[in-house]
Amino acid sequence: MKNKDKHKKISPWSMMKKIFPQILSVSPGLFIFNSFVFVLDGASFAATILSMQILFDRVTDLAQNKGTIKEAVLALMLLFGIKVFQQIVSGVSNFIGETYDSRSKGKLSHIINLKMSKLDPVSFENAETLDDINKSYNGVKFAINFINTIVDTMTLYLPHFLFMGIYLFNLKPILAVSLVFVFLPVLITQIVRVKIFSRLEDFSAPLRRKGKYYEECMTGRKYVKETRILGANPYFMNLLRQTIEQMNNLKWKADIKANLVELGTKLISLFGYLCILWMLFDALMKQEITLGAFAAVFASISSMFDMMEEIVCERLGYYAKNFGKIQNYLRFLELPERDENKKYEEDISYGDITLENVSFSYPNGENNALDGINLTIKDGETIAIVGENGSGKSTLIRLLTGLYLPDSGNVLHNNVDTRAMTTEKLFKDISGIFQNYQKYQLSLKDNITISETGNKFKGKERIKHVTSQAGINLKDNIFNKGFKTMLSREFDGVDLSGGQWQRVAIARGLFRVHKFIILDEPTAAIDPVEETKVYKRFSDIVKNKTAVIVTHRLGSVKFANRIVVMKNGKIAGIGNHNELLASCSIYKDMWESQSQYYTQQASTK
Amino acid sequence: MKIKNKKYKAIDYIRIPIKVNPIMGILMIFLRIAVASIPSLQVLATSRFIDTAIDIFESGGMYRIYTSLIFIMILVAFSWISSMLLSFIKLRIELSMNKTFRTAVVEKRSRLAYKHIENNETWDLISRIGKNPSEQIMKGFRNLLNIVEYGVKIMGLMLLIVSQVWWVAIAIIGIAIPLLTLASKSGKLDYEAFSTAQKYKRKADYLKEVLSSRESVEERSLFGYTQEIANRWLNRFELARKIEYKAMKHNFLRMKTASILTAFLSMAIALVLLSPVNNGMITVGMYISLVTAAFNLVQQMSWQLSVVMQEYVKNKLYLKDLTRFSELEEIQGVDGLPDTSIQKIPFESIEFKNVYFSYPETEKKILNGLSMRLERNKQYAFVGKNGAGKTTITKLLTGLYDNYEGEILINDRNIRDFTQEELKAYFSVVYQDFAKYHLSLKENVLLGDCGGTKNQQIERDRVKRILTDLEIMDVVERLPKGIETSLGKLSEDGVDLSGGQWQRVAIARNLISKAPIHILDEPTAALDPVSESKLYKLFGKVSRGKTTILITHRLGAARIADEILVVNDGVIAECGCHEELITEDGIYAEMFKAQRSWYHEK
Repeated sequence: MKNKDKHKKISPWSMMKKIFPQILSVSPGLFIFNSFVFVLDGASFAATILSMQILFDRVTDLAQNKGTIKEAVLALMLLFGIKVFQQIVSGVSNFIGETYDSRSKGKLSHIINLKMSKLDPVSFENAETLDDINKSYNGVKFAINFINTIVDTMTLYLPHFLFMGIYLFNLKPILAVSLVFVFLPVLITQIVRVKIFSRLEDFSAPLRRKGKYYEECMTGRKYVKETRILGANPYFMNLLRQTIEQMNNLKWKADIKANLVELGTKLISLFGYLCILWMLFDALMKQEITLGAFAAVFASISSMFDMMEEIVCERLGYYAKNFGKIQNYLRFLELPERDENKKYEEDISYGDITLENVSFSYPNGENNALDGINLTIKDGETIAIVGENGSGKSTLIRLLTGLYLPDSGNVLHNNVDTRAMTTEKLFKDISGIFQNYQKYQLSLKDNITISETGNKFKGKERIKHVTSQAGINLKDNIFNKGFKTMLSREFDGVDLSGGQWQRVAIARGLFRVHKFIILDEPTAAIDPVEETKVYKRFSDIVKNKTAVIVTHRLGSVKFANRIVVMKNGKIAGIGNHNELLASCSIYKDMWESQSQYYTQQASTK
Repeated sequence: MKIKNKKYKAIDYIRIPIKVNPIMGILMIFLRIAVASIPSLQVLATSRFIDTAIDIFESGGMYRIYTSLIFIMILVAFSWISSMLLSFIKLRIELSMNKTFRTAVVEKRSRLAYKHIENNETWDLISRIGKNPSEQIMKGFRNLLNIVEYGVKIMGLMLLIVSQVWWVAIAIIGIAIPLLTLASKSGKLDYEAFSTAQKYKRKADYLKEVLSSRESVEERSLFGYTQEIANRWLNRFELARKIEYKAMKHNFLRMKTASILTAFLSMAIALVLLSPVNNGMITVGMYISLVTAAFNLVQQMSWQLSVVMQEYVKNKLYLKDLTRFSELEEIQGVDGLPDTSIQKIPFESIEFKNVYFSYPETEKKILNGLSMRLERNKQYAFVGKNGAGKTTITKLLTGLYDNYEGEILINDRNIRDFTQEELKAYFSVVYQDFAKYHLSLKENVLLGDCGGTKNQQIERDRVKRILTDLEIMDVVERLPKGIETSLGKLSEDGVDLSGGQWQRVAIARNLISKAPIHILDEPTAALDPVSESKLYKLFGKVSRGKTTILITHRLGAARIADEILVVNDGVIAECGCHEELITEDGIYAEMFKAQRSWYHEK
């Protein structure tokens, strides 16, 4: 994802080409039907004015004793009929429109959801990608609105103005023309306003974030305990007041500016409006138009203005302001996918896993997280990886599984490069229990079966088997609804302790069919007794399997066939415990610093 | 301004804006009423204009038209300009609201009793209120003004009609009353449907997070559950949507029935007035302008009336929230500076006498008759299983909760007799989930000594000295602006630190404090055991001669303490130094053996 690509502009036309089919496909019939209703809606505005003119003419006749009351009543009925029709049509079209929008929202969000799984996992290490994801979800609303604006313009506003234009032109050509001119200043104001306020937004957005943040420092759950005991409230309150003051100043200045511009142009528009009024009056006096027509036009001129303002200021202005947000949606869908151009389609049956001179660095990372790693894990072998925080243990297992792909060197599964395989094939027989295992706010059953969502296991046998293997006691009071127990306080379920969650994660890892499993030690705080139990379980799991276990407790992994010692992204030693004690000084140091606490004669300080 | 504890009513939507900005508030109300009377005036002006025009056709005299033409133009001009004036006034009020009302809400929030913050239900309320308080009030204000505006518009027209033909009014009122009741009813029902839908949406939102969050990327990729979870998401989303759809359908039906009825009403008016026109009782001009005004009103009302009523109901619900929020208990002084004068009295001891405690609205006793005595200048370590009550002890000590039974004494004085400001001056705490303030490094550290010296140079020196003691000056020197560098992502040139570095900043904050008692509550959960021990040793060295309390379940770290207290089931189960506890062969010994077994074959 290079910067150049990111700021590539997408033209409105190609935006339309991409989003329109997505929205149309929600329900093509309904979409077309509603467009038709919109046209009727637009037309009914013009019909209203026409029927008003007829009514007023009849009434004038009536008063001057030239017509009958029956004619007037008929004209009134016509007007009423059109009004009712208009209400029904606008009700239907708006209702369909609004409900259609929320369906589209579902559809477009679903598209993003599915796209998510196709991204390379490593891209989630990149703050920019996370930002992109956020923006794309936000962009959905704007993408839908963008299409709506275009469709509405074509089906509602354009017919409306067309009908009105024809009507006015028939009355007196100059009316139609001058109306457009009167509206020009409004348009200009709108452009200026958008500029002023988007500049304001640029300046005030950081201030707003700051203000929110200072509030958070005083009142947020994450901060409140500490801020209070520090007595830092006055400090943050002061910062908040300053920020609000700055923000108010900016807003005030921008608003004054915008209002002055608006005042100027509005005065021009007003003058034009008065001229039109004068022309109408003049035409009336010269008897070029009837009294009814005069009254009808006079009555609807302001609603026509409102409508023009609506389309130009609100709808198009909104679109101009949020142009970037629509692009965010599309850009995300165009992010490169991991499985593009993957040729290797055959199943691989697991054999050795080989790392050849593998190096890897994180996006935005300065140094190599892994540096020239060579390692072969034999089929059925258990490997332990040990090392301090940041030594590259977790990175190594991410490359071993193929979650991440190496920058240089090769990772081979049974002699096939991880780069060549689709993720589906690659991960087919791999399972894992990760360091930051997820605490899904789902039922106990879903929490376990989420690791294998295909249809492979419908039966209850396997899930029962893995829960007991993981040490979950279903008779425990906390699982009051058995497998259906919801594991989330927020969704009316229960809260589990850290140790219980760990067991759920183990059950999850075991539920997935696997020939190769990775076990990453949890760093979340669990007490020593629980920790010992976790290792006991790990050692049971890995029997007779290809397995990799990551830990920083050296003493806990003596059951492994070989231990790999990591230091600064490199392998510092490989061998069993006794070999390493003899040959690897780093291992020896680590061992001694850890085991000293547990020897009898350890010094206290 | 203060958020008063009282029952908030609709009138407060007007009262609060007037209170924060009296002139603009009152001006706003007057102007809105003036704007609302334009349509009636317009009816008068137009009718006069038309009648005069008709008269001119018959008897000539062009000049007579000008006064009514000018009158119309003035009305048009006024309505245009007043809309601008209104936006200007609105802004002024908004700015005053931000300055006064928003900060008042923040102040109230920062004084709330801690139990309200840990309780999920009240926390939801607090965050709802905290979201956009001034916008909410402005919404309510505008909504009430809208109602007033419609009222004035309708009344004005009615008056005009009545002044022409009095009996029409009775007919109108007969139709209008059921209409308005219908409109006001529609709001309430919807809100309920929408809040049910909201529940499903929250569930759906959670799944979206599973599908897109960074934390779950490993499991998501390896387990390949995206398709399944995405389908579930769509399911829940559709469920919520369908509920909303139903509510919306009812809403639209009601709204449109109402507007068709209003159309019917205006037609009835137009119809009834026909015969007076015929008789010459009312003029053509009056007829035309009345009918025009009536239909225009229908047009406006068809959408806006139900929207306004719906908003009114929603805004009333917000007032309920606001009332509940205003009733939440505040604790005097929790938002104040530490009262350092108390530090002059030397700290001697902390004593718990038979303390029982359970969190509000829960049954489980977290502390179960806990007694202990801690003395000055000693280093203590609390160990025990998760959930044994270690952290709760610090919460009671620092005054976050005071609904305990038994006695807690500092220097033999009851802790309840201390003010919050005094307690602050006594304790300095690094919490498990310590704060990462997005301020400069220097400010981050100096927050540990709020109300201390304001001399820039002395401050800088102190901060540097402590960072040197904590052995992170090498990191600091690599930062672009040294200790003045902004940390976190809040400002553009901010630098983010690693977890371990943030921990040291938090500890530096603790060390710069002049409080006599320093507490470290497992601030190292994310570190490996070796790094944790190193950090604790460093802390032990730096804070030598102070009273410190370490909370941990990693026994290696606990060994540096003078005395280890084992917390189990809410009491101090064992206490003594490492050797004593091993000889005792109790809980501590069991935990210790569990860990030792990794390193020593049996």
